[in-house]
Amino acid sequence: MTNVKDSLAGQLTRSGRKIKNMEKKGARKKVSVQQVYNAVLEMDDELVVKAVKAEIDNGTDPSVILNEGLISAMDEIGKRFSEGTVFVPEMMMAAEAMKAGVAELKPLMQDIDTKSSGTIVIGTVKDDLHDIGKNLVAMMLESGGFNVIDLGVDVETEKFLEAAKDNNADIICMSALLTTTMPAMKEVVEAIKEAGLDFKTMVGGAPVTQEFADQIGATGYSADAPGAVEKARELIG
Amino acid sequence: MSIQSIESNYCGGHQTAQFKLLSEQQCEKIVGAALEILERTGVDINCEEALSLLKKAGCYVDGKRVRIPSHLIKWALNTAPSRIVLANRKGERKLFLEGHNSYFGAGPTCPNFIDAETGERRKARKQDVVNTAIVADKLPNIDFVMSLSMISDQTPELADVHEIHAMLQNTTKPLAGWAFNAEGMQDIIDMCTVVAGSLEELQRNPFIVLYSEPTSPLTHSEQALKKLLLTAENRIPVVYSPGMIIGGTAPVTLAGAVAVGVADNLTGLLLTQLKSEGAPFIGATQGGPMDMATMQHCYGSPECLLQQTISTDIYRYLKLPIWGTAGVTDSKVVDQQAAIDASIQILVGALSGAHLIHDVGFIDLGMTGSLEQMVMCDEIIGYVRRFIYGLEISDETLALDVVDQVGPGGNFLGTKHTFKNFKERVWKPSLFDRRSYDQWAADGCKTMGQRVHEKVKQILNEHKPEPLPEDVVKQLDAIVERAETRVKK
Ligand code: B1M
Repeated sequence: MTNVKDSLAGQLTRSGRKIKNMEKKGARKKVSVQQVYNAVLEMDDELVVKAVKAEIDNGTDPSVILNEGLISAMDEIGKRFSEGTVFVPEMMMAAEAMKAGVAELKPLMQDIDTKSSGTIVIGTVKDDLHDIGKNLVAMMLESGGFNVIDLGVDVETEKFLEAAKDNNADIICMSALLTTTMPAMKEVVEAIKEAGLDFKTMVGGAPVTQEFADQIGATGYSADAPGAVEKARELIG
Repeated sequence: MSIQSIESNYCGGHQTAQFKLLSEQQCEKIVGAALEILERTGVDINCEEALSLLKKAGCYVDGKRVRIPSHLIKWALNTAPSRIVLANRKGERKLFLEGHNSYFGAGPTCPNFIDAETGERRKARKQDVVNTAIVADKLPNIDFVMSLSMISDQTPELADVHEIHAMLQNTTKPLAGWAFNAEGMQDIIDMCTVVAGSLEELQRNPFIVLYSEPTSPLTHSEQALKKLLLTAENRIPVVYSPGMIIGGTAPVTLAGAVAVGVADNLTGLLLTQLKSEGAPFIGATQGGPMDMATMQHCYGSPECLLQQTISTDIYRYLKLPIWGTAGVTDSKVVDQQAAIDASIQILVGALSGAHLIHDVGFIDLGMTGSLEQMVMCDEIIGYVRRFIYGLEISDETLALDVVDQVGPGGNFLGTKHTFKNFKERVWKPSLFDRRSYDQWAADGCKTMGQRVHEKVKQILNEHKPEPLPEDVVKQLDAIVERAETRVKK
């Protein structure tokens, strides 16, 4: 009998190598801050920091480093995720690497702040404790360049509104995994209307559908985390 | 005893099929890791009563973070019963959660259901729970009943209460119930008390197991703890099962995942024992890997099987009754994928000998309940049970006299020995096709799926479960009414 462990390990490294090779071949966009962009695709925070520092030293415009380097690399990661060649833990490593780059830019950032794609408050609705999906969506939105305020789980309608007002948010994002907590989404949408506010809303979670979103008058819906980023961009326009 | 109802191990003079993955030392190592998690990292406890129980017992409490000294868990493991016997609705003791006995039953809270008539996937209704109970009541290898639903055609926040109301009236088999909160759980206990005649009677011969769940990793919500403490107060058996997503809410490596799950589960054990020493508690951890492309929690996976097996080994080592999972598929229909999933899970579950193996009848990643999946699994469980039963080696089974009597060139068909033994010794399928090609073709070339579908319809048309006395039904109705009034306020 062949040693199962050895042959399994063999398989794993073989497929691991395959991914690496694919990545090498995978077309990389030509951007002006190529090192930064590549470092995010390598999912290596130290490399990102090094590349960002080098660009800063070169006098590159911080907003170019951010948008063409960091954010556009994360968009590429998101695209690869949708295509099934990048997986969640890799996406999260890339997001961490990107964050490390953003931290380097922070001191120069006054004008970049206004260029963040928009502000989002997010949480699971009242009585819902399922937060894994919500956490993934929040993480993706953050790496998509949004300013994300995560209110956690079991968030009351008023708390959503207050946080949105306090932070001058563009979108209120709600996640629900229970059919019994889905009506709370409707409550939030209605409370916004009643208060005469104009926050956009996005809803999601396993039992939530586009149909339900339309029914309750939510402005956006997404079935998954990368879709939520696209939707948020579309809503903010 | 017929093969259909045999338990997975009758520790008598015969050899049954059993399987164990971990050695005692390996179990000890993982349990040690769980105890270390409780002492070092601790758990978040979001319930005042639970916090004060833990504090009084000598835990280190810092806000809601609680660190639990190992000796307390050891104490709780000693005071909790190592065996639980579940009765049927009539108080007859039926399921013996001990040794390697494995019993199978449906699962809870699927938001969708496959319509028994049309095959359409739609939101679950109360009638689906009625149908689940009727079909489960009839099937010889389904030993306990859950709703396969989270219904949405009744007051939504009373789905749990309505489901028990439906199940109690449509099966005599033991039940497992879930609840949103302590109020609903109290309604459920009240209904079962009415059926049993008194709470004491229900405690002596419980026919229901209740279900609550920590939020892994290491978080215990107020709702979950209130439900848990309520079961202990009433001394009804409880399953407190972390629903881990391996790689998401638990380490991606199985040893670490199970250690986290066991830490959460043992926190629940300790609380039940502090609330009411000797309260019946069923050990459980549950979890499948997160598919890193779709982010789904996967039931149909080798990791899920390993998780179940490790968990079973550990709770056997800890001498607690054991909760398990099988008969579930991620497939959206009852197809080849569903049959592969169910077969492997049921075989592995019974081999490793978890006591109450639930979720039989789940499809669609646990999002949809299917009577067809349950009926197909019933057949698989029968198949597996015969295998597990193994063989007996005795004068009767060696049958040397018969061999001598038949002699070279003879046959055994006409012997008394065959006549006497064949029914018990040879499994008789109810759905497998074993006819000749022509016979099969003449009967319409039906696939397994079609035969399963017909069997579901036939049971629903023909089976009439034993009804409850009318006055009992009236009292159940009144409890549901009371709950309706409560939530309308
Ligand atoms: C704003 O815009 C957006 C856009 C997209 C958005 C979005 C927001 N939010 C999510 N998305 C989308 O992006 C994400 C990534 O692609 C996706 O997010 P998801 O969240 O869908 O997916 C996650 C990444 C992975 N999926 C998950 O995290 C959920 C997995 C399952 C197994 C599950 C888990 C793990 C848990 N549970 Co619960 N649980 C189940 C689930 C069954 C299943 N197969 O899904 C489900 C959801 N649970 C259910 C139930 C009933 C319950 N659970 C409960 C508890 C738990 C645990 C605590 C044990 C645990 C949660 C742990 C945690 N930290 O979150 C209880 C309720 C607690 C509460 N008050 O919330 C309890 C009531 C159980 C009970 N009483 O016995 C069922 C719901 C039935 C229904 N829909 O009505 C259920 C389908 C399981 C089942 N078949 O019974 C997309 O939906």
